[in-house]
Parts: sequence; C-alpha cells; structure tokens
Amino acid sequence: MRSSFLRLVLLVARRDYLRTVRRRGFIAGTLLLPAAMATMFAVSGFLSTMGAEGQTLGPLFVVNQSAVTLSADPALTPHVVLVSQAEADAHVADGTVSDYYVVPGQWPAQPDIRHVVAAERGPSRPLDALTLEQTSQAEIEILLRVSILRDAGLPDTALARLLTPIEFSSVSTAGEPVTEASVLAGFALPYIFTLIFVLSIFITSGYLLQSVTEEKENRVVEIVLSSIPALPLMAGKVLGLGAAGLTQVAIWLVTALVAIPLVNQQFSLDLTLSPQQMVLAVVFFCLGYLGYGAIFAAVGALAPGAREGQQYSSFFGFFAVVPLIATPVFVNDPGSWIVWTLALFPLTAPASSLELLSLPATPWLTLGASLVSQLVFVVVAVVLASRIFRATLLLYGSRPSVRGIIGALTTRA
Amino acid sequence: MTSAPDQQPLPQPQAGPDPALPVVVDGAWKRFGSTDVVADLSFDVRAGEVLGFLGPNGAGKTTTMRMILDIIRPDRGGIRVFGGPPGTQHQGRTGYLPEDRGLYRDVPALDTLAYFGALRGLSMATARQRARELLVEVGLGDALTKKAGELSRGMHQKAQLIATIINEPDLLIVDEPFQGLDPVNATMLKSLLLEQRDRGAAVVMSTHDMEDAQVLCDRILLIDKGRRLLYGSVADVRRAFSDGAVEVVGTQLPTDIDGLHSASHATAYDGAVRYLLRDGATAQDLFRELGGTPAQVERFAVEAPNLAEIFIRAVAGDPRAQAVA
Repeated sequence: MRSSFLRLVLLVARRDYLRTVRRRGFIAGTLLLPAAMATMFAVSGFLSTMGAEGQTLGPLFVVNQSAVTLSADPALTPHVVLVSQAEADAHVADGTVSDYYVVPGQWPAQPDIRHVVAAERGPSRPLDALTLEQTSQAEIEILLRVSILRDAGLPDTALARLLTPIEFSSVSTAGEPVTEASVLAGFALPYIFTLIFVLSIFITSGYLLQSVTEEKENRVVEIVLSSIPALPLMAGKVLGLGAAGLTQVAIWLVTALVAIPLVNQQFSLDLTLSPQQMVLAVVFFCLGYLGYGAIFAAVGALAPGAREGQQYSSFFGFFAVVPLIATPVFVNDPGSWIVWTLALFPLTAPASSLELLSLPATPWLTLGASLVSQLVFVVVAVVLASRIFRATLLLYGSRPSVRGIIGALTTRA
Repeated sequence: MTSAPDQQPLPQPQAGPDPALPVVVDGAWKRFGSTDVVADLSFDVRAGEVLGFLGPNGAGKTTTMRMILDIIRPDRGGIRVFGGPPGTQHQGRTGYLPEDRGLYRDVPALDTLAYFGALRGLSMATARQRARELLVEVGLGDALTKKAGELSRGMHQKAQLIATIINEPDLLIVDEPFQGLDPVNATMLKSLLLEQRDRGAAVVMSTHDMEDAQVLCDRILLIDKGRRLLYGSVADVRRAFSDGAVEVVGTQLPTDIDGLHSASHATAYDGAVRYLLRDGATAQDLFRELGGTPAQVERFAVEAPNLAEIFIRAVAGDPRAQAVA
C-alpha cells in the first residue's frame, strides 16, 4: 500500500495531463494558432489575387493644352494616349474610361495638372483604385518631365541614362549578400519565436494556476493533501501540465515547420529554424515553464480565488515581455550589459534565452550563463512554491499573512 | 436517557505511548499568531472504536486532525501514528473526510473516487472497481458517470465518504460526516461508518451533533480552546455528570427507603420510581438491594444528562468535568 514518490508524481501527472488536453479550451487554444496562420495565408492569397486583378492599368487619356510638345514613349509611358478634349469627353461619356488628365495651357509655369473624373463615379473609391491612380499619375509625371527635357534639347542618350533606375546592393563584411528579406528576418524571427514561446510558457503556467485554484475552489485540496505530500503533488502537477504545454508547443512547432517556407515565399523572407534551435527552444521552454509554473502555483495557493490568482499572476507577465521590448538591443548588441542582465535575471531569462537562441550568431556564453541561472532558480522556486502550496492551500477564501508566508517558506514541505 | 450499567468501561489511557495504538497524541501544541489553537493536548485512538471529537467552533479540532494527518505539524509535543511519526508512510492506511470538502465538479464522481483511491495506494483498476461497488452499495449506481456538479448534496456526501473509505483504512478521520443529510441518508452513512469500526478501523469523528456522538461513539474527547475538557467512555462521562439518580420501572417497587441502604429518597410517578442514591452508594448497590425485595424490575437506568447537556456544562466550567478530564 505504500506509495513511492515517483508513483504519486506520475499518477498526478497523468491525471492532470489527460484532464487538460481533453478540455475544449486546450483543444481550441492549440488549434487556434495553426488555424490563424492558415486563415492569414488564405486571406493574404485572396487579397493578392484581388489586387492583381484590380491593378490592371488601362489607357491613360491625356489632353495637352500647353505649348510644350508631349510625346508618348512606348517604353517609358506605355499607357499614355494623347487625345483632344472632345475625344476625352466622348470616351468618358461612352464609358471607355472613367477619367482623364488635362495639361493646362499655363503648364509648366503653373505645375497643376487637372484630373477629370466622371461625375457618376462619386468621391469614394476602393483602395485598389487609389493605388491605380497613383501608378497612373507616376506615368504621367514621367511623360511631362521627359517632354520638358526633350523640349530643352537633351539628347535621348542622356535622357536614357537619366531615367535608368539606380540599383543598390548590400553585402556583409564576410562578402555575403544582405537582402532586405534577411534583414527583416533578423528582427522578425527572434521576435516571433520568442513571442510564441513566451505565450506558450504563460499559457502552460496558467494551467498550473488554474489547477491549483480549482482544487481550492472545488474544496478537494485537503483530501488530496491528506493522501499525498505537497512535493509529489506539486511535482506531478508541474510535470503533467508541462507535458500538456509541450504537446501544444510540439503542435505549434510542426505548424511552424510547415508554415515557414510558405511565409518565406509569401512575404519574400528568409526565415529558418534549425533542429538545434528547436531542441534548445524546448529546453528553454521547459525551464521557463518550471520557473513561472512554480511562481504561478504559489500565486494560486496564496490567492483567495481564481480571479485574484489571474490578477496577481499577470504582474509577472510584465517581466516576461521585457526582453521582447528589448529585441532591437538583442539584435544589434547581444553582448551589452542590458542583454546580460535580462539573460541572468530569472524572470526575464526565459524570454531572453529564446531571443538569444534565435539570433543569427548565437552568443553561447550568455546563453550558458542564462541556462545556469534558470536551473538554479527553478530548483529554488519549485521547493519554495511547494512549501507555500502546502501551507496556504488550506486557507481557502482567506488571505495569508506575510509572517505566515515566511514561516511556510522556512518549513519543509 | 438510558444507559446500560453492565456496559464495560473502556480502559483509561495509558501513561506512555502504546505503539499498538493507531494514534497517540502526547502534549501537542500548535500556535497560530498569538493564539494557542491546541494546548498541551493528549489522547489516543484505539483500533475498533469510534472516538467522538467534540468541542465548540474554533476549539482546535480541525487543527488536531490535520496534525494527525501531517497536513500541518505541531509546534511542540509528540504525535505517533501507527507507532511512528505522522507522515506519508501512513497515507495508504488512513482516510480523511474534512469538513471543508468537495469533489471535482466537472469530472464524473467515479473517476474522482478512483483517483483518490489510487492516491492512497490502490491500483487504478482496483480503485475504480471498489469505487463502483461502493457507489452502488450506497444507492449511487445510476450516478457513476455523472459529473459531481450534477449530484445532489446528499449524493455528494455519500461520494465523499466513499472517497474516505475506498482504501479500507485502518485509521479514519471524519469531520462532521452527516452534516446536512436527511435522516435516510444519514442512517445509511452511519451504518457505513460503523462497518468500518466493526472491521477494526480506528475512527475519529468530529461532530457537533451530540445525539450522533452519544449513539455512535465508544469514547469521547471534548476540547475547548485547544485544551482537553472531557475524555473517556460515553458511559463514564455521563456517569460523572449524573446527579446520582436511578429510574426503575417495574411492579411492587419499594417507595419506603427505610429498607434500602443505598437510596436516600424515592419518588413514584407513572409506573416508575426515581431513587436518589446516598453518598458512596452505586447503582449496582441499589440493583442488588432491589433483588432482595418482591419488586419485579423491568427497566433499570442510571439517570444521566445527555451529551448535549454535558457539553454545555463542561464548557461552562462544571467541576465534575475534572473527574473525566
């Protein structure tokens, strides 16, 4: 009949795991991220298709009333069609076009170009029509500038050189090309990666908080504590709910592996996740969860009810997001004292280590120091939390005194 | 109002801890803040008995029970459970029904009970089987798969008691086990509790219902402000608070006390005679003397106050409590 510590831990863990993963909230939460990503791609794809259809540029009718000779160039201004006022009005009238442009007689002394719009079109236009209008006006601007330069006698060879677009290319000191995509990815990946893992840590720690407060509110805690010591109970909860969180993270990681190539393709990015990064991410997830989970369990034990427990625990959320706010510092100066401080301080260490991990060049020393800091904190936090857990769980509905909490911290669970 | 004069009083507590006893509390103290919730409390609990744990609200009963279960620890004094210190090693042999109790609301009662049984050392399959049998036994066969939130209060109480006895514990600690139950369900659960005692379990029952205590308990322990006020068998305690009167029902009962050395006064009423015992005389003396007269005794009862009256008197400081403290 004697129960071993491990048996009790596994018993509690199994029960809490199964109970959590069968909850509708867990299933919905786990599938929400993949579903959101799928929806984003579907909407993005749909909009890009819509945009492509809407942005087809038709003929641009231009009425020239100025003294400057305008000449449409098939290469530079392929859509421009020079017409008379009467022809332009006739096209608008028969619906061939909905607008045209008039270059007034005072041009270029007065640089105002009139855009004549069909009266029935109304003042409001969809977004793609505005984009189209901007493209049209850019082409007309080229028409007018080229015409002035030609009128001034600039030879076509110089004109061609003037109008040839200048291209810039960036290379790193190692000689590797640095594209906009890789620069964006350098910022985006640490941020998104850390955000998702911090979110996971908080969601999973939240399960622990919920489990503890639920046992208080269901008034089973005294029966449970008379059946099993606080330490294996706490350890079982941490293990079972951590496993539930890992299940969620695993599903998200698989989603990420599928989604990253699609994201790269869709947004011309260069995001990558190596197996090494993923394994270490899981390790740091576990450490982050254990640390925050212990805090949340203690908060759950101290709080009079579930609502108060959530309010108190949200205070710790502030620490978790500080490294996210400091993402530019992590990216630009990973060796700075700010990064070191955030990586070593137990409450900011989980998010910091995840940020460090996703940098293009991993600062292993900082990461190792952060790992040690988190390991020490986890051991201390779990032991202290189990003491608080034991001493205060029985005080349902009441607020334990500071002296009582200190007493609990110094008493073996 | 009746008490059996031939009931054998249980032996008084021994001076030193007896390792064979399921529970020995020896001078335990527990202080919360500046209040001694339990103060120098000593008692024991024996196998095969129900010890009634009585006292006003805040007397320290729950704290004492939690100390026996190692949920909290005494500041001073010793507590021995099954001959050793309280702790996890006994959790497979104990059952606890706290006053503040419940079940997981969104989980079927059967699953919760199986989980509690497994926590107390049973295999999950055995715990599930035993929970099923006990639920059927108390008439909850239809509620096996119902979530606890869907059960009535009475059903809850039954399920909670099952959670306490599912592992057939050697030590059962129950706090107000019949609170809020209708008479039918209360009777059923009382039988269940006495079955545990009869199979040899030591039962500690905290209750405010003095009638339950009088009927169910072999011994009682009354505490107030953490200190022991009364401790002994129900019969001994009632006798200590007796006014020395005996009620006898029968025929040809003598009302003239000249022939009776053990009685100082006799009053006849409604077919019965109430004898007041002389100082130093016992009910047994009177019974013997009546045997030497033509009286036909049909019923012989030492008049003693019920436990509710004794409770009030003891807490109010009645000096007779000293005799059974």
